[in-house]
Amino acid sequence: MASSMSCARLASWTLAALILQILGLSLFGIGFFPVKPSLPGISGLESYRVPSCDAEVNAEAVDLPPDQLKSLYRDLSKMPPTFDRLVLMVIDGLPAEFILGRGDSHPSKAMMEAMPYTQSLLLKREAIAYHAKAAPPTVTMPRLKAMVSGAIGGFLDVAFNFNTQAFLDDNLLDQLYRIGWKLVMLGDNTWIKLFPGLFSRQDGVSSFFVKDTVEVDYNVTRHLEAELAANDWSLLILHYLGLDHVGHIGGRQSKLMAPKLNEMDEVIKTIHTRLAQEQDNVDKRTLLVVVSDHGMTNGGNHGGSTYEETDSLALFIGIGPRYPLYAPNEHDEVFQVDIAPTLALLFGVPIPKNNIGVLLLEIFHTLTDEQKLRALELNSWQLLRLLQAHIWDLCCGDFVCGINDGVDLVINGSFENDKEKFTHLFSRAIGAHNKWKVHQDSRFSNTDDVSVAIASYYDFLGNASEWLSHRATDRPINLLVSGICIMLISCILLVSLSICFIKKVYFTPNKSYYLVKKHVGCWYLHESFVFLGIFTHVISLGASSLVEEEQYTWHYLTCSLYLIFLFTTVQSLIRGQTSDSVKGEEQYIFDQSQRSDARDITWFMDLKSYQRKNICNFNQISSIIIVLICGRVLRGWHQGGVNWVHLPDISKWIELSGAFTINYLHITSLLLILVVSSFALFLSRSRRKLVFIIFCSYLACGYLVFLYAMKYQGHNVVAMDHSATSIAQMFYVAVAIVVILIPLVTPWMVPVHYQERKWMTKLNSNSKSLDVRMNFPLFDGIWDSTYIIGVTYCVCWCLLQLVLQQQINAIPVFLLFLQLLASMIYFSTDESDHRQWIKVAAIYFLGMSGHFGLGNSNSLATVDVAGAFIGISSHSTILSGILMFSITYASSILSFLSLIMCTFVKDIGYLSSQRMSELGCIFQMIIALPCLIPLTLNSIVLTTSTIILLFMRNHLFIWSVFSPKYLYVCAATLSVYIGVCIIAITGIYTCAVVFYRTKMLQERAHSS
Amino acid sequence: MGSSAQISASKAFTLHLLCALGFAAAWAVACDVFSWTLVAHPALVLRLLFSVHAPFVIVVYSMLRREPEHCPFWKAVGRGLLAIPVGALLNAFGAIVLGAPVGTSYLPKTIYWSLLMSLFTFVPAACVVGSSRTGWQSFLLANSRPIEELDCMIILPAYGAIIGSWFGAWPMPLDWERPWQEWPICVTYGAVIGYLMGMLVLTPAFILGIKRKARVKGD
Repeated sequence: MASSMSCARLASWTLAALILQILGLSLFGIGFFPVKPSLPGISGLESYRVPSCDAEVNAEAVDLPPDQLKSLYRDLSKMPPTFDRLVLMVIDGLPAEFILGRGDSHPSKAMMEAMPYTQSLLLKREAIAYHAKAAPPTVTMPRLKAMVSGAIGGFLDVAFNFNTQAFLDDNLLDQLYRIGWKLVMLGDNTWIKLFPGLFSRQDGVSSFFVKDTVEVDYNVTRHLEAELAANDWSLLILHYLGLDHVGHIGGRQSKLMAPKLNEMDEVIKTIHTRLAQEQDNVDKRTLLVVVSDHGMTNGGNHGGSTYEETDSLALFIGIGPRYPLYAPNEHDEVFQVDIAPTLALLFGVPIPKNNIGVLLLEIFHTLTDEQKLRALELNSWQLLRLLQAHIWDLCCGDFVCGINDGVDLVINGSFENDKEKFTHLFSRAIGAHNKWKVHQDSRFSNTDDVSVAIASYYDFLGNASEWLSHRATDRPINLLVSGICIMLISCILLVSLSICFIKKVYFTPNKSYYLVKKHVGCWYLHESFVFLGIFTHVISLGASSLVEEEQYTWHYLTCSLYLIFLFTTVQSLIRGQTSDSVKGEEQYIFDQSQRSDARDITWFMDLKSYQRKNICNFNQISSIIIVLICGRVLRGWHQGGVNWVHLPDISKWIELSGAFTINYLHITSLLLILVVSSFALFLSRSRRKLVFIIFCSYLACGYLVFLYAMKYQGHNVVAMDHSATSIAQMFYVAVAIVVILIPLVTPWMVPVHYQERKWMTKLNSNSKSLDVRMNFPLFDGIWDSTYIIGVTYCVCWCLLQLVLQQQINAIPVFLLFLQLLASMIYFSTDESDHRQWIKVAAIYFLGMSGHFGLGNSNSLATVDVAGAFIGISSHSTILSGILMFSITYASSILSFLSLIMCTFVKDIGYLSSQRMSELGCIFQMIIALPCLIPLTLNSIVLTTSTIILLFMRNHLFIWSVFSPKYLYVCAATLSVYIGVCIIAITGIYTCAVVFYRTKMLQERAHSS
Repeated sequence: MGSSAQISASKAFTLHLLCALGFAAAWAVACDVFSWTLVAHPALVLRLLFSVHAPFVIVVYSMLRREPEHCPFWKAVGRGLLAIPVGALLNAFGAIVLGAPVGTSYLPKTIYWSLLMSLFTFVPAACVVGSSRTGWQSFLLANSRPIEELDCMIILPAYGAIIGSWFGAWPMPLDWERPWQEWPICVTYGAVIGYLMGMLVLTPAFILGIKRKARVKGD
């Protein structure tokens, strides 16, 4: 198969493998990230009846007019609504820690002082606050859904976060709307997208302009007076986004944080004083609920599942009797989903069907014991119905016995299955409730009975809620396994294709003895290390802490690989120094005689350039050392990961020294990139004029970046600067022109020759010339143009990243560029000693460790949202999605682009001369290796992480560690596809053009 | 090559055992006399290990020097002493590039660790061959040409120590929160295990293998 594999076959097999991979991935994705099974329909009158085994029909209440429905609910529930109106104030991203402190400690003094009114309310017990734990993923839309429906949505809600769609499940807002409430919404327009047509008045603000921290909140507050004066609404939703934006820009410690908290405090004060004035109005008893949808990390991001991110606030401010004493830090945590049943019961509507929350009893302090127990009973019935949907044979018939046995049921401690456990717990609760009722009737009242009943209700509710929220949803195992099998097949296909290809290049029969022998022994070391590295990385994907700290793995592997390169270079240095004995000469002459005649010149030249070899070796050593040192600095730049984020690193140290330094570094990095790129460009042996024009285009783009950097003085500028946006747009256009024009034009401009040139002319001043293969005129032209195009791609990409990335990442972008360039120099001066695929693998490794060097991690929290809106004047999901992707995968894509400028297949001697003239063969030479190797490596990672995900599907960290990692792996696969596409298209185009020009020249020469 | 190339397996084993015993003695002194542990006092223990182990290594390997008739014993010792800082620099470079922390609080640990690693890797070779290029060639190019007994004695412990410390670093990012996960404790454990393995197990085995091969060839 190996020798007969033509270009077309190779390409079609690769394509087939890719299609299989995509198919398998989508099968697995559908199976693994399902929409959680939920009860259909909307809770109605049946929620006030005991659950029964029969399929319940609730057609009766559907068409009732709102007023009748409201009174019907009131009668059936046997508990009057405690409040008539609700003000729901959502402060996006406010950690409860800011108000309640953490553990034993109070919040910091600055925080206390920032919110004096709220703190005084808490102190006077006019308000009660909870740490309401939010479920991951901690991004806005799924959390809003959780708050209003009490259900935890599927993991993929994150993916839809920027593409909000109407919320169709049973939820609190719909319930309130059905009993005739008038709803008003001010703030984040996510609400409007979730509940279109529900609000009678609305003013949505977009959360897309993350850099704006003032306007978003002003747009909400400006309506507040009018709305508070208006009496027509029953539910007023205020969603303030500013605090989240402050966090995204500056983190928890941002200078803007305290003023923002103070602003929120003022809003609470305004609302509360206004409501207190209307206290006497019986129909207008109003509850103010302040909640946050999620917390934030110290850096101000969110999305993951750390304490900082999930610590959201639930603050109930009622008008009326004081709340019971409640110390939120000493209690068991409550959950964000608990807000839904609490509010539903307070306002006399049925609890939403899929709610898994448990009511917060402290809020019901004004009710009688009977009413409290009734509320617990309603909550239990609702949860029982939901449990019945999950456990098929959990049937209410079993509970009859429980009623008789009462609390005296023997507790076995352990239950055979969930069904028995819930049956037991539920019947115990019902029993305790009944006992209390009996005692109540017989005037033998006992406060103990109440507390026993409440405790046993909570026992059931807590267990049921926990079980429901932790329950791994049923995943169709057939779908998962078939998806994995298809991916496995594609992976095996890719691996065997690469092996075939590599074998073909190095072990063809007509290969000279010398090379084969050389490759058997000495170069075994890198290859086995790369295999070891891939293997250890893949194994490490199974350990949750190694996934969290993946940056260490990649840095370690990459640096080890380059240390091995260093070692082998030292080896070849030592070998070179001793081979100037007669023996060495003989070896060379022997080699030479083994060679086919076409290659004589090359090897003669090699002998001549032999003195240069030492210089070459020192060049190689210095470039490897540059790569290593840059890698270490990159590693120290961001203390990534999860467990040691707080440790000092270079970026924190620079941020301490102020915005000026950061700006200065930004511009330094720009200059350095331009200088290095000019160096790289002038290494090419192409026409000076062409090179000069290309360099001018870099300069033009660089100048725009410079203007942007001057305009845009750090993230802390409050207002959006429109001139900065327009400069960024100009920059995008300029880069697009450069990136499209230069690759199109360069192949037509590079000098091509139809004859073999004399090698003498090529021994020019550049010691780094890419020159071992100059007796193949066609390849000469191709290599020249791909080199120039590759450099252009890399420079433009780096400049783009200088605009998009956080300013602190400017230097790392430069370091990455330097690393790739140094590797390129090392590889091209290296005289075909390494196997070529090792070079592709090494650059892939560099890209991966650079990915973490830019501050990314495997938690969704490190995705840089702020950068995704640079230069976008109107809201566009697709554009910002593309920008976000290019920020996150900056390093991987840069490494793929740099593959274009490296030349891999230098040793083309095995091709017979007539095959050299086939276009297909040339394509194969130029693009097969840089396309095939990244695809193979990525496919190995993708397949193993899929398998690991399958095995870990019941692991505790499945949603917090493994699933986010899997999303990252999928996105990395996409980046590989993009990179490979660019490589392939550029390579094919360049080859075709140069080939055509050479042919034309030849024909002209023949005809003349 | 050198005249002292013919070394029997038992002699190699004895010499290596001497080194290992010296090392064990240093360890025992640290544990019993000073009641220091590597986990609690890494810098102190590493310093003690280095200063006790250094004379053993230098003396043993200086006895094995190449061309003893041209090169007096004290010269080999001098080469060994000179090689200590050079090897330490190389090892420290490798460790820092691979991610060893560079803070001032870690500085003494890194210094003593790399001194110890220098004893494991660089000093023996320097004692034996000095600055002779062909000698170094036989160590560095060992994977591409047949090796001799003396090469074995130097290469295997050194590679053992390097590979051991490479693997020893893997537990460091795990979140087990054990004190031994700190730099350079588990790396030192790995290095010591690899070093001792190389000295006491691999070297005799390799030398026996070489002897057998030679015998087969002779037959």
